[in-house]
Amino acid sequence: MNNISVFLLTGFLGAGKSTLLNRLLSDPDFADTAVVINEFGDIAIDHDLVHVGKTQVARTTTGCMCCTAGSDIRTTLYELHTLAEAGETVFKRVIVETTGLADPAPLINDLIPGGSPAIGLRDHIVARNFELAGVVTLVDIETGTAALQNHFEATKQIAFADRLLLTKTDLVNGAELNSAVERLKAGLLPVNPSAPILDSSAAGFVPADLFRQRAYMPASLGDDVIGWLALEAAIRSEVPAAHGNTDAVQGVDRHAGRIRTFTLTREQPVEPETFRKFMGLLSDSAGPRLLRAKGIVNLAEDCARPAVVHAVQHMVYPLRTLDAWPDEDHRTRLVFITDGIDPEPVRQLFEAALDNRPSYIYRRFTEFGAQLKSLLHSAVTQPRRGAPR
Amino acid sequence: MSFVNPLAPRRALPEKTRQIKEWTRALRGLDDQVVVAVSEIACRDEGCPDVETVIGIMRPGEKIETIRVHKPIAEVEQSDIR
Repeated sequence: MNNISVFLLTGFLGAGKSTLLNRLLSDPDFADTAVVINEFGDIAIDHDLVHVGKTQVARTTTGCMCCTAGSDIRTTLYELHTLAEAGETVFKRVIVETTGLADPAPLINDLIPGGSPAIGLRDHIVARNFELAGVVTLVDIETGTAALQNHFEATKQIAFADRLLLTKTDLVNGAELNSAVERLKAGLLPVNPSAPILDSSAAGFVPADLFRQRAYMPASLGDDVIGWLALEAAIRSEVPAAHGNTDAVQGVDRHAGRIRTFTLTREQPVEPETFRKFMGLLSDSAGPRLLRAKGIVNLAEDCARPAVVHAVQHMVYPLRTLDAWPDEDHRTRLVFITDGIDPEPVRQLFEAALDNRPSYIYRRFTEFGAQLKSLLHSAVTQPRRGAPR
Repeated sequence: MSFVNPLAPRRALPEKTRQIKEWTRALRGLDDQVVVAVSEIACRDEGCPDVETVIGIMRPGEKIETIRVHKPIAEVEQSDIR
């Protein structure tokens, strides 16, 4: 029996992984795909935003897979294998959508021969039945260069890819597109000279081609990749000794403590204009330190049809309306991933803006701005390429 | 005339990583057979820094040697590598 192909779908926060997954899963040829969605944060939102057909099986995991030496990826694959053995599902491939902050090295080590040692029956069954077939990394044409320059996770995601996909190229003015693509490619090539670079909005681009059967060969990706895989194994084995910790299965936290994730929820429907005002105020104040915001909004104008909100650094994208709520939970739910921003002022700004208390909003906004001032003064001032709409 | 680019990257990680590798190679006198890898991880233990840089030196047939610098990659200086 052939092993089941496992593909990693990765890319920095907001690169468009869920969008690509939606395009892919609408292809009937991919109905036999199991999907694993890993989210950074305690409340999963992405599973509501990815439309999984009836014949597909999906697993959502929260907490970053790359930080858990207990190997969540192997546990999840083992669960999928158990379901298939019991005849409860049939699938021919698995796509693992990582968090935008994932370091691919530990995940890849868990999936390749000669990587992390197999411990126990579970790991051996996974090794016998699954194999890593490819790593697809998405790079946002608008924010890709900044991510590559400022976040080490983005560098590694790009370096480990055997396919690179430029996303959101359709949002760039036609006359500027070629030069924008060339600039981005010039930054990508030194990090990954091997992977083909594709354009998600090019004529003839077929998402399914990214996930065709092939063999993932880290050795072909250069010394950096080989070095990171070996270093990853060494770091894992060193963790207990280096930190006076005797718990050998404890994971390695790969994300600085300044990276925070928090969730805001609200029972009452919100007015569209006040919600847009809140997102605009937040984006203006936080700029590039608002790494990612996403969620589902219960708008007062049409409570039966929720809106999806996405923001990436300084970009707040237009609200997109869904045909229906994905589940019984009809609250507004927003997940934020931030770099050095305390959740409390954001929470207060959220409540004040949605309760429409102008003087309170002004006071909270001022306090929030003052708090951020010290963080932002050392950061490069990024022009706002997209105003909140 | 100098021009300060307001869009200039803040941390310039790819360039800084290459520089750290060069410093390490020069300090240890490493040839091309030796692979040097640089990574950045966070630390959760009290008393440890928020982020640390880990440099791996991989000599053929030998155990990996690691150098830990208790700073983010962007802040590592040549004198930190010992």
